[in-house]
Amino acid sequence: MTDGDFLRVSDVSKWYGDEQVLDEVSFGMDRGDVTVLIGPSGSGKSTMLRCVNRLAEAQEGSITLDGEEVLSPDTDVDELRREVGMVFQSFNLFAHLSAVGNVALGPRRVLDLSENEARERAANQLERVGLADQLDSYPAELSGGQQQRVGIARALAMEPKLMLFDEPTSALDPELIGEVLEVMRSLVDEGMTMLVVTHEMSFARAVADEVVFLDDGRVVERGPPEQLFERPENERTGRFLERIASHD
Amino acid sequence: MAGATRPRTVGERVADADASAGKALLVAAGALFWGWLVVSWVNRWLGGAIAPVGEPFVAPDAVESAFAAVPGLAAVAADAAFVVELSPVLAQGTWLTVVITGVSLVCGFFIAVPLAVARVYGRFSAWLSLGYTELLRGTPLLAQLFVLYYGLNLAASVPASLSGVFPRDVVWVAILGFTLNGAAYQAEYIRGAVESVDEGQITAGRAIGLSKIESIYYVVLPQALRYAIPSWTNEFVYLIKYSSLAGFITVPELYYRANQVATDTFRYTAVFLILGAMYLALVLTASKFMERVDARVAIPGLGANRER
Ligand SMILES: Nc1ncnc2c1ncn2[C@@H]1O[C@H](COP(=O)(O)OP(=O)(O)OP(=O)(O)O)[C@@H](O)[C@H]1O
Ligand SMILES: [Mg+2]
Repeated sequence: MTDGDFLRVSDVSKWYGDEQVLDEVSFGMDRGDVTVLIGPSGSGKSTMLRCVNRLAEAQEGSITLDGEEVLSPDTDVDELRREVGMVFQSFNLFAHLSAVGNVALGPRRVLDLSENEARERAANQLERVGLADQLDSYPAELSGGQQQRVGIARALAMEPKLMLFDEPTSALDPELIGEVLEVMRSLVDEGMTMLVVTHEMSFARAVADEVVFLDDGRVVERGPPEQLFERPENERTGRFLERIASHD
Repeated sequence: MAGATRPRTVGERVADADASAGKALLVAAGALFWGWLVVSWVNRWLGGAIAPVGEPFVAPDAVESAFAAVPGLAAVAADAAFVVELSPVLAQGTWLTVVITGVSLVCGFFIAVPLAVARVYGRFSAWLSLGYTELLRGTPLLAQLFVLYYGLNLAASVPASLSGVFPRDVVWVAILGFTLNGAAYQAEYIRGAVESVDEGQITAGRAIGLSKIESIYYVVLPQALRYAIPSWTNEFVYLIKYSSLAGFITVPELYYRANQVATDTFRYTAVFLILGAMYLALVLTASKFMERVDARVAIPGLGANRER
């Protein structure tokens, strides 16, 4: 298989204390690709995502984004994070800010837009995720699905080159999952490059260019969804897929 | 929301009426208290435009005869006259108490916030912050005031430009002492609130490219300071009362003056009852005010749930 090189993760290893949580992880994505990371709890999926925007520091290996080494000590971490959007399982919306305030904070304080420009950009992004009518609602006044869409808008407002999603729907009631996946699909259609941790297999099947199965910090198997889901080569992959299928 | 339109029971309506009568009484008492204080202060600044400085607004004799004329109040006529006679001194003392408390509280706040942030997010600075708060909370406030006043003789080093503001240079020493001490207590309350802000909030801030300090400033503190208000109000209330310790380093604040009058007149009970009422009025004002602030800045959707 040919690896993309827009985002290239090569032999990344990471330890927390003595515990190794990532073990020579490698994969690559082209611009506009969607890669889905799956794996059991504790296998290192979140850690892998966080290494990409340096919320976690990998000790070994290399990650390049658009040709630039992410793990180099010279990398401007804040600059990197401007270019990489992240969406969290627990939304992590700024509790004291309205939807517009949440989305506008980055443009205002990081990109240094004027208050008006930032709010306008925020309003546009909220419209993009279908929340044009909730601009002034506060997180505690929104449903989980709405909160997560604000979270997506907040990341999009920085005009990132790459979006990271860490189980964006797993904290949601089943009836709210659809609206979030729908927004994510529309991003795929717009050509956004997305690295997604999710156990929504139908989503992965529909939009992923590649699925990477992590277990115990190692890439056990990766490939296009139809191959990985229908004909897994590794026995562990098969068992994992059976397990989550039985949960659905 | 749904419950808001439910018709209220008779019991509830009576309770509401009682509550609003009580509230009206409290507001009236508060208005009287603050009206009297403000008019007294303005009068003194204007050099006695309303009444000669140091004289009550109404003649104590007139009050005494007015009270004596009402059958039920005749017994307290002499005491009423005494209170009126005392009023200029009380107003003057209360002025200093309010200023010392207010200035110390505000200055202390600006020290407390960095202390709290350092304590939660710092490494070396966390130890410094811990050392500071433990030292100041672990030793008697009066001892701290004595160190500043007698030990370091700070009153002597108050610059001339400042010394004219208050009747005594030592007021600045008291303000410094209460600022440093109050900062330690405020820092503890604020630290608790900072710790209660979910870690994901900072992570999200950092993920959009804010630095750690920016995330703390734009994301953590706006939430933490809101959450801190109820417990922080304790420090406000304590400081009002603790400010009476300034009397021990000869600051002529409320307690100091009342004590002087009591020693001069031997009417200890009456004087200290009135003194208590004054402090109570200040404390009630402070806590009601902070309740308003708390409601005003409550985060929509969260505020309602946190209501008692
Ligand atoms: N900040 C941390 N400090 C220490 N250990 C950590 C930390 N974060 C994660 N770990 C450990 O690293 C391992 C991988 O965690 P990670 O969160 O990446 O797994 P995951 O695949 O995302 O799991 P889940 O599906 O439960 O979210 C786990 O054993 C976890 O306990
Ligand atoms: Mg995870």
